[in-house]
Amino acid sequence: MIKNLTEISKDMLLNETGKMKYNGYRFVTATCVDIGDGTVDVIYHFDKDLELKNFRINVKRGEEIKSITKIYFCALLVENEIKELFGLNITDIAIDYGGRMLLSDEELQNPMLKRQITIEQKGEE
Amino acid sequence: MDRKTIIPFGPQHPVLPEPLHLKLVMEDEKIVEAIPAIGYVHRGLEKLTETKEFTQNVYIVERVCGICSFMHAMTYCQGMEDLMEIQIPDRARYLRVIWAELHRIHSHLLWLGLLADSFGFESLFMQLWKNREKVLDIMEETIGSRVIISANIIGGTKRDLSKEMLIKISIIIDEIAEDIKRLEPVFFNDYTVKKRLVGVGILTGEQAYELGTVGPMARASGIKQDRRMTGYAAYGELDFEPIVETNGDCYARTMVRVKEINLSIRLIKQAIAKIPAGDFSVPVKGNPTGEVIALVEQPRGEVLYYMKGNGTKFLERLRIRTPTFANIPTLLKMLPGSQLADVPVLILTIDPCISCTER
Repeated sequence: MIKNLTEISKDMLLNETGKMKYNGYRFVTATCVDIGDGTVDVIYHFDKDLELKNFRINVKRGEEIKSITKIYFCALLVENEIKELFGLNITDIAIDYGGRMLLSDEELQNPMLKRQITIEQKGEE
Repeated sequence: MDRKTIIPFGPQHPVLPEPLHLKLVMEDEKIVEAIPAIGYVHRGLEKLTETKEFTQNVYIVERVCGICSFMHAMTYCQGMEDLMEIQIPDRARYLRVIWAELHRIHSHLLWLGLLADSFGFESLFMQLWKNREKVLDIMEETIGSRVIISANIIGGTKRDLSKEMLIKISIIIDEIAEDIKRLEPVFFNDYTVKKRLVGVGILTGEQAYELGTVGPMARASGIKQDRRMTGYAAYGELDFEPIVETNGDCYARTMVRVKEINLSIRLIKQAIAKIPAGDFSVPVKGNPTGEVIALVEQPRGEVLYYMKGNGTKFLERLRIRTPTFANIPTLLKMLPGSQLADVPVLILTIDPCISCTER
């Protein structure tokens, strides 16, 4: 359903991002989606002349992804956000908050990940 | 040897209505580095949308930001309509333009008032907010609420505007246009205003593009980038050209916003003249499946919504990238080299909405 979406491997990410920069694309943002099977999709959105181009990578939780902030500095907030809320191991971010941009020590770790929630009825054993 | 000092700016500061913290690394009065800290009021609204039905999410996304609440709901509804292949009535497309542009006017008037207040021009602040009240009164009269108006539903709009109401809106926005015409020279020609804005915080077109800058910030640096040009809602049937300035300083950003108020007034007038008769909503059947991206031009710039449905009433994921979130990195590159005294005005000219950023 998403137009101009290309599936790539995480190893191709920096290369494709570099090409986007070279071809005059603007970095819009990245979207992280927990698939629920232990993997996470990250979609990188770029724009040129009001046309979006998207790249999707699928990574296992905890797997290392290189930051694109050396190519697009403006990705620093979204990468920190993804790292913190989804627990992705994004390395070499231009300003790395170390998982403390939004969350404090008392809060739930990686709160955007899917979790099994059991609702206990009152009186049930 | 240069001695560096770190000055904390915010999270509580007279020019900031919402909490944002900047660690300013200074050499005398000059900024050499700025590091932001956000997260003071993060609400986790994206996660909350996963626990509500997709029809209820309209009310959640409206609360991402009070000032552009209508456009958050509009983006969400447009995305869901795309996903569910719903064709909304033509009248609803025009109604959305009218309410959206009214929101843009009140957002820009709010910002201009805050700017006037930041450099101590109280009477200008009051004149601008007096006009903003007129817009909020229209909201109240048309839908019952002043800021978060809940006019959008998936499939169209919740209410219609009568012919008499459309005439009344037209008269009121004419009055606002008259007042803006009277106030414009203060922003454009006043010595004090120009002294605080001209040549301050220059952002070139290349820098703006590279930093992913959006909205009036980008347009003030010569980038003709306005999502309304894609023709969503009824914009494709209205005649308009985005406002673009080239100097890239605080003055240019102010000019863009002042001129955009006039543009919004012209768009509303056109929409009122062209609005077709007929229904203003269609029923929604089924549940969303698949992924979609929706983009809308808010007062502060482009907003992106990513939505993923799984065939149930609940969305798998809703992701929101707000314009302020996109403009903060620009601020970080704009601040170094500036004087400490210019920081409040510089921060204000990105029109920061922390509520949006901390969705």
